Amino acid sequence: MGSLRQGTLTAVLRNVPILMFAGTFVVFGLLTPRFLEYQSLENIAKQASYIGIIAVGETVVLLTAGIDLSVGSNMYVSAVAAGLLMERFAISPLPALLVCLTVGLLFGLFNAFAVTRLHIIPFVVTLATQFAGRGLGWMLSKSRAVTFPQSVTGLGAAELLGIPAPVVIFAVVVLLAWVVLTRTTLGRQIYAVGHGLEAARKAGVDTRRVQATAYIICGVLASLGGFVSVAQLGNVNSGFGQMVEFQAIAAAVLGGASLFGGIGNVFPGTVLGALLIQMVWAGLVATRTDLYLQPLIAAAIIFLAVLLDSVRNTVLARLGRHNIRVEE
Amino acid sequence: MDRPSGDRPVQSSGNVTSQTRIARLKEVVIGRALLSDSFVLYLSVAYFVVLWVFLPRLGSARNLSNLSSNIWPLLVLVIGQMFVLIVGGIDLSQTSIMAITSVCGALMITSGLDPELFAANPLWGVFVGEQGGPAGGSVAAAPVGIAFMLAIGTLIGSANGLAVARLKMPPFMVTLVSMFFFSGLAICITRSENVRNLPDAFLAIGQNYLGRVPTARGSVGLVPYSFFAALALAVAAWFVLARTILGRWLYAVGMNRRAATVSGVPTDRVIVWAYAVSGFCAALGSVLYSSRLGAGRPTLGENVLLDIIGAAVIGGISLFGGKGKVRWAFYGVLFFVLLDSSLYMLNLKFYTVNIVKGVVILVAALLDVLRNRIRLGWAPTGRAVTA
Amino acid sequence: MSEPILQFEHVSKSFFGAMALTDITLAVRPGMVLGLVGENGAGKSTLMNILGGVIASDEGQIRLEGRPYSTGSPAEATRAGIAFIHQELNLFSHLSILDNLFIDGFPRIGRTPLIHRREAVRRAKEALAAVNLSISPRTRVDRLTPGQKQLVEIAKALHGGAQIIIFDEPTTSLTSRETERLFALIERLRREGRTILYISHVLADVLRLADEIAVLRDGKVVRTGPKAEFDINAMIAAMVGRQVDQLHPIRRGKPADKVLMSVAGVTEPGIVKDISFDLHEGEILGLFGLMGSGRTELGRILFGLDPFRSGTIDMCGQPRRRRTARRSIAAGMAFVTEDRREEGLLMEAPVTENMALVALPNCRRNRVPGTLDRLALRRSVDEMIASLKIKCVSPRTAAVKSLSGGNQQKTVIGKWLLGRPMVCILDEPTRGIDVGARYEVYSIINDLADRGNGLLCISSELEELMGICDSLLVMSKGRICGRFRRDEFDKERILAAAFEGHLERGPRGSSGASN
Repeated sequence: MGSLRQGTLTAVLRNVPILMFAGTFVVFGLLTPRFLEYQSLENIAKQASYIGIIAVGETVVLLTAGIDLSVGSNMYVSAVAAGLLMERFAISPLPALLVCLTVGLLFGLFNAFAVTRLHIIPFVVTLATQFAGRGLGWMLSKSRAVTFPQSVTGLGAAELLGIPAPVVIFAVVVLLAWVVLTRTTLGRQIYAVGHGLEAARKAGVDTRRVQATAYIICGVLASLGGFVSVAQLGNVNSGFGQMVEFQAIAAAVLGGASLFGGIGNVFPGTVLGALLIQMVWAGLVATRTDLYLQPLIAAAIIFLAVLLDSVRNTVLARLGRHNIRVEE
Repeated sequence: MDRPSGDRPVQSSGNVTSQTRIARLKEVVIGRALLSDSFVLYLSVAYFVVLWVFLPRLGSARNLSNLSSNIWPLLVLVIGQMFVLIVGGIDLSQTSIMAITSVCGALMITSGLDPELFAANPLWGVFVGEQGGPAGGSVAAAPVGIAFMLAIGTLIGSANGLAVARLKMPPFMVTLVSMFFFSGLAICITRSENVRNLPDAFLAIGQNYLGRVPTARGSVGLVPYSFFAALALAVAAWFVLARTILGRWLYAVGMNRRAATVSGVPTDRVIVWAYAVSGFCAALGSVLYSSRLGAGRPTLGENVLLDIIGAAVIGGISLFGGKGKVRWAFYGVLFFVLLDSSLYMLNLKFYTVNIVKGVVILVAALLDVLRNRIRLGWAPTGRAVTA
Repeated sequence: MSEPILQFEHVSKSFFGAMALTDITLAVRPGMVLGLVGENGAGKSTLMNILGGVIASDEGQIRLEGRPYSTGSPAEATRAGIAFIHQELNLFSHLSILDNLFIDGFPRIGRTPLIHRREAVRRAKEALAAVNLSISPRTRVDRLTPGQKQLVEIAKALHGGAQIIIFDEPTTSLTSRETERLFALIERLRREGRTILYISHVLADVLRLADEIAVLRDGKVVRTGPKAEFDINAMIAAMVGRQVDQLHPIRRGKPADKVLMSVAGVTEPGIVKDISFDLHEGEILGLFGLMGSGRTELGRILFGLDPFRSGTIDMCGQPRRRRTARRSIAAGMAFVTEDRREEGLLMEAPVTENMALVALPNCRRNRVPGTLDRLALRRSVDEMIASLKIKCVSPRTAAVKSLSGGNQQKTVIGKWLLGRPMVCILDEPTRGIDVGARYEVYSIINDLADRGNGLLCISSELEELMGICDSLLVMSKGRICGRFRRDEFDKERILAAAFEGHLERGPRGSSGASN
């Protein structure tokens, strides 16, 4: 019954992200039953929502075989822009959100322009915009903290049918991204571009447009994620969004996205990845782990997930090789 | 669309007007400079000279001394990063290696710790105590500490390399996780406190100079000790890359790992070597920075990662692997440090400096794209041409 | 006589300042198959790339049905009814057939951007039926055989309404049966009135399919005419610009009795089964098999790149354990891989770097461990470049990717010869290289055998193996199904052995996708 065992192995390997997620959940649940209460789960979802939104955008860029290291600076600049306008002109949250998204859009547009028109590799482009964006944000804010009024924090605490607003926004973003990626021509072209830029061009795909769209989506979602985060925190300090790019990439990769493009999905992949990261932090807090040990354990768990993912790829490739020719 | 320039032969020499000849000369000069290996060096010199005219202070002894003491530690880090970039990887963990080695080395050789700050340390009473670390107060403290730091750095680098080569994990993720882990660890074992009371011999490395130059306001150092460390490393790195079998293997693995494997290159070992070198260099950089700072700091190198990668990119080291020279690393660092200090001297705000740095990285990358274009005779791959 | 559907008028193109195409003028009538032949670098691919919108021409123009046609992008070419079936199939292997068929535009629900999935599947089924492929459109492309993939590509061209279809070396990775199916399909397309441009190195195929033939040499059209005016020798003569007397060098040497490599019972489940043979000193042993017969996989196992479960591989009587490529090289083996770009060369590096790679450990300087004796290395590399007659303007600086296929292949061979091997495994040593270079590669192989090396030549071209080998092994479905000495060579018997077990195999259906 070798084939049965092999089948099980394949099934297990294919679902590594889900299993990691479930495993972590169970372990923390056993350690502290309080972890399993609805309140704590709701908190995890709520805290995961902003990083999740950004990770969705990052996933789209990763799918095109690109990378966006500027999302952290992007969310900082756009949040600062919105916050300053609210401070000075006392505009209401909705126009502020629009300003925030517009700044994110411009950010994405610039990245898109540099990648598709100037032909600079995405890593360098977004590294540079990360530098410059952070500087721009500091310039705008004079590097002091920007505080947001009640009207915005109220949004962060609002609920829709008993579900926290951030989670609702996250869900909507995921749904839209899922529809775009699986149910539109653009989505399929994003996968095709990630699979091979030249091949996609030869197949008649407008590769520049597809790449550009990915960076723009990522830019807008980064600013949206920033706004959602602001709505929960109430202020933006000068370190806001730092290292977020790495968390977003980690979430996407934990969800099965490849850094080389063409492989990955937003649902369930990236959603699980974002929740997993947040769950680890929440679990460490719930189990009263030493504050200094928390990052170590979190890093170890992420390492394990990445390791399992690469083991999975190696094993699946080997199984695939053996299936080249079915004997007898 | 732009037409090819530079290397194209003139179609017919008979009817070339003087005007086109001048235009062509211009093309050749610009093309040559752009294509030159030392392009970034020329750029740095030109930048320095132009700015010097407007800002004489730039050329002052004090500033030059300052400049040079900023260049060498960064060069050490970039050389390490270059080894990893050559094999087609990336090392994001260099900064955390700096932090952990800084802390470990300092704990090893410190001659006294404040019990109020460090009593909660898990190592308290076992390895370290009020009288300092195991090697604290010893005559050989400095060499022992340095050796210890270099060993830890190399070890962590090798571990990264093993994960990349043997476990086939993506370098970006491996070193990212390792960055989180070791910077967390550095903070954990010191509870965010700096480790002070380091021996003078250790501090001398980062703070002392060979020879002094008198100026109006006291004397300034001429050649920092860190220069010798960086020079030794640079020569060794050059030798390995240009003169040894390992060097050839490093480039081969970066250009085409599969072809290298088939050709008998021990690819896994080569990759581990590259990451180990990067770890070693990070530790050496940590020695220089820590001694300049006079303390073991758990957040050492926090903001250096972007400088490292920025300098490497400006120098022309490819992120796709297979390309990189020690010279290029030096040029990149030179330009980056020059830019940094000149921007501060222009009294620009720190945020403007950040913005300018970002733009410069972009421009450098753009020039690189341009250079490749010229070199390839503007072969129109990937560009649709509308007739 | 009908008006030409496609006209090239004085088309020119240069790369790196060198002319790739000079003043090409050519007319193609609708509903005919134009065979396009020429050596590598003659300009066939450049010309077709211009037509397919992949690159732009410098001068001249193309007329489509009499109207000027400017080649902007592949997408425009597709809209103009031109489809390009590339040699390396242009499919996205991680995506489904459906995605591949509609990647430049799915049918949509009304005016929304949403994909009309039912409609897409229906049209995909139609498109697949048009090429006689009965597979679910949702199957992922990486589960198809090379032949099926090609049919998908053709289906894509047809459903895009292509009137002119370019085939660039379509048969390189097909089995003979799949080739037959392809030819029948091309025949049908022509009857339907579509125009076919057929590029191939397999001259017999061109002669069989084409109505008219155009021969390119050095970027110029040197001869065109109806098929009746050509035979294979005439085509070769036009291609190389001189008369070629023979395709293979004369084999003079004879294998000795001494066994260099002895393989016994090598088995790896799902890959190869019970492989046994001896390779003698001075022997050229051919290994023939269809695509998927396990011939390349066997080469990789012998060289130590892939594992095997049971059996033994002895080199000069020494059993070999813990095998890696490195140890194999040390034991005197060489492996010229099938895929030059992926596994053979460092494309960005110059010829000298590439050549030195295998021999590096032999050029150690003893005084300082690990350092290179660069002088000795340079001398031996230069000698090898000269002895293999590699044509390259600047072997120390120019990236090897700028060389022609033949010179690239000679670089790979030179790399291995510098390692002074006793046993050479050559996988498709003449793939994608032109007639002249082929002869040179055969001569090198011949010389090596005369000097006492043992050579194992893996190939899918039977003519080639029959021309150069002392004896032949035939593989099918992972086993050796036939052994022939030179005096027993018989094309039909060899082919029969190769097809053993393949005869009753239909296309792998969608059932393959589920397990």
